[in-house]
Amino acid sequence: MSPRREVIVASPLARDRASSADRAVSTLVKGGDFLFVSGLAAVDPQSGERVRGTTASETRHILGNLKQLLEAAGSSLDKIVKVNVLLHSMLEAPNMNEVYARFFPDPPPARTVCGARLPDDAKVIIECTALA
Amino acid sequence: MRELIAAPLPGLDLRQHYGHHQSPAIRAGGLIFCSGMLPIDPGTGERRHGTLTSEAHVIFANLKLLLESAGSSLERLVQVHALIYDSIEYDVLNRVYRQYVANGPPARTVWTAQIEAGFKVELDVIAVA
Repeated sequence: MSPRREVIVASPLARDRASSADRAVSTLVKGGDFLFVSGLAAVDPQSGERVRGTTASETRHILGNLKQLLEAAGSSLDKIVKVNVLLHSMLEAPNMNEVYARFFPDPPPARTVCGARLPDDAKVIIECTALA
Repeated sequence: MRELIAAPLPGLDLRQHYGHHQSPAIRAGGLIFCSGMLPIDPGTGERRHGTLTSEAHVIFANLKLLLESAGSSLERLVQVHALIYDSIEYDVLNRVYRQYVANGPPARTVWTAQIEAGFKVELDVIAVA
Protein backbone atom coordinates (compact mmCIF):
# COMPACT_ATOMS: atom_id res chain seq x y z
CA MET A 1 0.00 0.00 0.00
CA SER A 2 1.33 3.43 -0.85
CA PRO A 3 2.07 5.81 2.01
CA ARG A 4 -0.74 8.20 2.92
CA ARG A 5 1.66 11.11 2.96
CA GLU A 6 4.56 11.46 0.59
CA VAL A 7 7.10 14.23 0.23
CA ILE A 8 7.88 14.80 -3.45
CA VAL A 9 11.59 15.53 -3.91
CA ALA A 10 11.93 15.09 -7.68
CA SER A 11 11.48 18.76 -8.34
CA PRO A 12 13.21 21.06 -10.82
CA LEU A 13 13.76 23.85 -8.32
CA ALA A 14 17.37 24.14 -7.15
CA ARG A 15 16.40 24.70 -3.55
CA ASP A 16 14.88 21.23 -3.44
CA ARG A 17 18.20 19.66 -4.39
CA ALA A 18 19.67 20.72 -1.06
CA SER A 19 19.91 17.84 1.37
CA SER A 20 16.71 17.20 3.23
CA ALA A 21 18.42 18.19 6.49
CA ASP A 22 18.77 21.73 5.15
CA ARG A 23 15.11 22.07 4.38
CA ALA A 24 12.50 23.26 6.83
CA VAL A 25 9.89 23.07 4.10
CA SER A 26 8.88 20.51 1.49
CA THR A 27 7.79 22.19 -1.71
CA LEU A 28 5.32 19.44 -2.61
CA VAL A 29 3.62 16.98 -0.34
CA LYS A 30 1.18 14.36 -1.57
CA GLY A 31 -1.66 13.34 0.74
CA GLY A 32 -4.78 11.42 -0.27
CA ASP A 33 -5.87 12.51 -3.74
CA PHE A 34 -4.08 15.82 -3.46
CA LEU A 35 -0.73 17.50 -3.90
CA PHE A 36 -0.12 20.39 -1.52
CA VAL A 37 2.33 22.96 -2.81
CA SER A 38 4.14 25.37 -0.50
CA GLY A 39 3.93 29.09 -1.06
CA LEU A 40 6.33 29.91 -3.89
CA ALA A 41 8.19 33.17 -4.27
CA ALA A 42 9.90 34.08 -7.56
CA VAL A 43 13.20 32.21 -7.92
CA ASP A 44 15.46 31.40 -10.83
CA PRO A 45 14.88 27.68 -11.50
CA GLN A 46 18.55 27.08 -12.35
CA SER A 47 20.33 28.92 -9.55
CA GLY A 48 17.58 28.96 -6.96
CA GLU A 49 18.30 32.65 -6.41
CA ARG A 50 15.42 34.97 -5.66
CA VAL A 51 14.34 37.01 -8.66
CA ARG A 52 13.20 40.52 -7.77
CA GLY A 53 10.95 42.22 -10.25
CA THR A 54 7.51 43.67 -10.69
CA THR A 55 4.39 41.93 -9.48
CA ALA A 56 3.77 40.85 -13.07
CA SER A 57 7.27 39.44 -13.65
CA GLU A 58 7.37 37.70 -10.27
CA THR A 59 3.97 36.14 -11.02
CA ARG A 60 5.31 34.91 -14.37
CA HIS A 61 8.37 33.35 -12.71
CA ILE A 62 6.33 31.66 -10.01
CA LEU A 63 3.75 30.17 -12.37
CA GLY A 64 6.46 29.00 -14.80
CA ASN A 65 8.19 27.23 -11.92
CA LEU A 66 4.90 25.87 -10.60
CA LYS A 67 4.12 24.36 -14.00
CA GLN A 68 7.48 22.54 -14.01
CA LEU A 69 7.13 21.42 -10.41
CA LEU A 70 3.69 19.94 -10.93
CA GLU A 71 4.62 18.23 -14.19
CA ALA A 72 7.73 16.71 -12.60
CA ALA A 73 5.42 15.29 -9.93
CA GLY A 74 2.98 13.87 -12.51
CA SER A 75 0.37 16.58 -12.08
CA SER A 76 -0.19 19.77 -14.08
CA LEU A 77 -1.62 23.29 -13.96
CA ASP A 78 -4.98 22.04 -15.20
CA LYS A 79 -5.24 19.72 -12.19
CA ILE A 80 -5.01 22.58 -9.71
CA VAL A 81 -8.19 22.95 -7.70
CA LYS A 82 -7.40 25.95 -5.49
CA VAL A 83 -4.84 28.74 -5.54
CA ASN A 84 -4.06 31.27 -2.82
CA VAL A 85 -2.26 34.38 -4.02
CA LEU A 86 -0.63 36.68 -1.48
CA LEU A 87 0.33 40.13 -2.74
CA HIS A 88 2.37 42.85 -1.07
CA SER A 89 -0.39 45.26 -2.07
CA MET A 90 -3.90 44.68 -3.34
CA LEU A 91 -3.35 47.59 -5.73
CA GLU A 92 -1.26 45.10 -7.70
CA ALA A 93 -4.08 42.56 -8.07
CA PRO A 94 -4.90 43.53 -11.70
CA ASN A 95 -1.21 43.21 -12.68
CA MET A 96 -1.06 39.75 -11.14
CA ASN A 97 -4.42 38.73 -12.64
CA GLU A 98 -3.41 39.64 -16.18
CA VAL A 99 -0.33 37.39 -16.13
CA TYR A 100 -2.13 34.70 -14.13
CA ALA A 101 -4.90 34.41 -16.73
CA ARG A 102 -2.38 33.37 -19.41
CA PHE A 103 -1.31 30.28 -17.45
CA PHE A 104 -4.62 28.71 -16.58
CA PRO A 105 -6.96 26.75 -18.79
CA ASP A 106 -10.72 26.93 -18.75
CA PRO A 107 -12.26 26.56 -16.22
CA PRO A 108 -9.60 28.09 -13.96
CA PRO A 109 -9.11 26.88 -10.37
CA ALA A 110 -10.90 28.41 -7.41
CA ARG A 111 -8.79 31.24 -6.07
CA THR A 112 -8.38 33.64 -3.15
CA VAL A 113 -6.24 36.77 -3.45
CA CYS A 114 -5.31 38.93 -0.49
CA GLY A 115 -2.72 41.51 0.51
CA ALA A 116 -0.26 40.54 3.26
CA ARG A 117 3.19 41.35 4.59
CA LEU A 118 5.48 38.96 2.73
CA PRO A 119 8.97 37.75 3.71
CA ASP A 120 12.16 38.62 1.84
CA ASP A 121 10.60 41.60 0.03
CA ALA A 122 8.56 39.27 -2.15
CA LYS A 123 5.84 41.01 -4.14
CA VAL A 124 3.91 37.79 -4.74
CA ILE A 125 3.65 34.38 -3.09
CA ILE A 126 1.47 31.66 -4.62
CA GLU A 127 0.42 28.39 -2.98
CA CYS A 128 -1.93 25.79 -4.35
CA THR A 129 -3.64 22.45 -3.98
CA ALA A 130 -3.80 20.15 -7.02
CA LEU A 131 -5.08 16.70 -7.79
CA ALA A 132 -2.11 14.31 -7.67
CA MET B 1 -11.51 14.38 -11.72
CA ARG B 2 -11.94 18.12 -11.37
CA GLU B 3 -15.30 19.68 -11.92
CA LEU B 4 -16.41 23.29 -12.27
CA ILE B 5 -19.18 24.53 -10.00
CA ALA B 6 -20.77 27.40 -11.89
CA ALA B 7 -22.26 30.47 -10.25
CA PRO B 8 -25.88 29.69 -9.19
CA LEU B 9 -26.75 33.36 -9.76
CA PRO B 10 -25.09 35.72 -12.25
CA GLY B 11 -23.76 38.12 -9.59
CA LEU B 12 -21.61 35.38 -8.08
CA ASP B 13 -19.55 35.03 -11.25
CA LEU B 14 -16.62 37.31 -10.35
CA ARG B 15 -14.86 36.35 -13.55
CA GLN B 16 -17.65 37.86 -15.58
CA HIS B 17 -18.18 40.91 -13.38
CA TYR B 18 -14.64 41.77 -12.35
CA GLY B 19 -12.36 39.80 -14.68
CA HIS B 20 -10.96 37.66 -11.85
CA HIS B 21 -9.48 34.59 -13.50
CA GLN B 22 -11.14 32.08 -11.19
CA SER B 23 -14.05 29.66 -10.99
CA PRO B 24 -16.66 30.16 -8.24
CA ALA B 25 -15.79 26.69 -6.91
CA ILE B 26 -14.17 23.44 -7.98
CA ARG B 27 -15.23 19.95 -6.92
CA ALA B 28 -12.42 17.40 -6.65
CA GLY B 29 -11.60 14.38 -4.52
CA GLY B 30 -14.90 14.54 -2.64
CA LEU B 31 -14.36 18.15 -1.60
CA ILE B 32 -15.55 21.54 -2.80
CA PHE B 33 -12.98 24.34 -2.92
CA CYS B 34 -14.58 27.77 -3.06
CA SER B 35 -12.94 30.94 -4.30
CA GLY B 36 -12.69 33.68 -1.69
CA MET B 37 -16.27 34.69 -0.85
CA LEU B 38 -17.00 38.40 -0.83
CA PRO B 39 -20.04 40.56 -0.02
CA ILE B 40 -21.33 40.82 -3.57
CA ASP B 41 -24.98 41.15 -4.53
CA PRO B 42 -25.79 37.70 -5.94
CA GLY B 43 -28.19 39.12 -8.50
CA THR B 44 -26.28 42.09 -9.86
CA GLY B 45 -22.66 41.50 -8.88
CA GLU B 46 -22.53 44.89 -7.17
CA ARG B 47 -20.30 45.32 -4.15
CA ARG B 48 -22.18 45.46 -0.87
CA HIS B 49 -19.86 47.39 1.40
CA GLY B 50 -21.01 47.79 4.99
CA THR B 51 -20.07 46.87 8.52
CA LEU B 52 -18.18 43.65 9.10
CA THR B 53 -21.44 42.15 10.36
CA SER B 54 -23.51 43.17 7.33
CA GLU B 55 -20.76 42.05 4.95
CA ALA B 56 -20.56 38.67 6.72
CA HIS B 57 -24.34 38.17 6.39
CA VAL B 58 -24.10 38.71 2.62
CA ILE B 59 -21.11 36.39 2.37
CA PHE B 60 -22.80 33.56 4.27
CA ALA B 61 -25.96 33.95 2.16
CA ASN B 62 -23.82 33.71 -0.99
CA LEU B 63 -21.88 30.76 0.37
CA LYS B 64 -25.11 28.96 1.22
CA LEU B 65 -26.39 29.51 -2.34
CA LEU B 66 -23.14 28.32 -3.88
CA LEU B 67 -22.73 25.23 -1.69
CA GLU B 68 -26.39 24.19 -1.98
CA SER B 69 -26.29 24.57 -5.77
CA ALA B 70 -23.47 22.01 -5.66
CA GLY B 71 -25.37 19.62 -3.38
CA SER B 72 -23.43 20.63 -0.29
CA SER B 73 -24.32 23.03 2.55
CA LEU B 74 -22.96 25.19 5.36
CA GLU B 75 -23.26 22.13 7.63
CA ARG B 76 -20.68 20.37 5.45
CA LEU B 77 -17.91 22.97 5.76
CA VAL B 78 -14.64 21.39 6.90
CA GLN B 79 -12.28 24.36 6.89
CA VAL B 80 -12.67 28.12 6.91
CA HIS B 81 -10.10 30.86 6.54
CA ALA B 82 -11.67 34.10 7.70
CA LEU B 83 -9.79 37.16 6.53
CA ILE B 84 -10.66 40.37 8.34
CA TYR B 85 -9.37 43.90 7.75
CA ASP B 86 -8.51 44.57 11.40
CA SER B 87 -8.09 42.19 14.32
CA ILE B 88 -10.04 44.61 16.50
CA GLU B 89 -13.17 43.17 14.85
CA TYR B 90 -12.43 39.58 15.89
CA ASP B 91 -15.28 39.49 18.44
CA VAL B 92 -17.67 41.07 15.94
CA LEU B 93 -16.79 38.37 13.42
CA ASN B 94 -17.41 35.64 16.01
CA ARG B 95 -20.85 36.95 16.88
CA VAL B 96 -22.12 36.80 13.31
CA TYR B 97 -20.11 33.69 12.38
CA ARG B 98 -21.62 31.63 15.19
CA GLN B 99 -25.12 32.09 13.78
CA TYR B 100 -24.22 30.18 10.62
CA VAL B 101 -22.21 27.28 12.01
CA ALA B 102 -24.32 26.36 15.01
CA ASN B 103 -23.64 22.63 15.14
CA GLY B 104 -20.12 21.22 15.03
CA PRO B 105 -18.41 24.24 13.49
CA PRO B 106 -15.63 23.69 10.92
CA ALA B 107 -11.91 24.10 11.56
CA ARG B 108 -11.07 27.76 11.26
CA THR B 109 -8.21 30.24 11.11
CA VAL B 110 -8.70 33.99 11.29
CA TRP B 111 -6.11 36.52 10.21
CA THR B 112 -5.79 40.14 9.24
CA ALA B 113 -5.16 40.93 5.57
CA GLN B 114 -5.78 43.50 2.90
CA ILE B 115 -9.01 42.40 1.24
CA GLU B 116 -9.95 43.42 -2.28
CA ALA B 117 -11.95 46.58 -2.87
CA GLY B 118 -11.65 47.59 0.79
CA PHE B 119 -14.03 44.91 2.04
CA LYS B 120 -13.93 44.11 5.75
CA VAL B 121 -14.22 40.34 5.58
CA GLU B 122 -13.66 37.46 3.15
CA LEU B 123 -14.22 33.73 3.68
CA ASP B 124 -12.07 31.11 2.01
CA VAL B 125 -13.64 27.70 2.54
CA ILE B 126 -13.53 23.98 1.82
CA ALA B 127 -16.63 21.80 2.20
CA VAL B 128 -17.42 18.13 1.78
CA ALA B 129 -19.11 17.63 -1.60
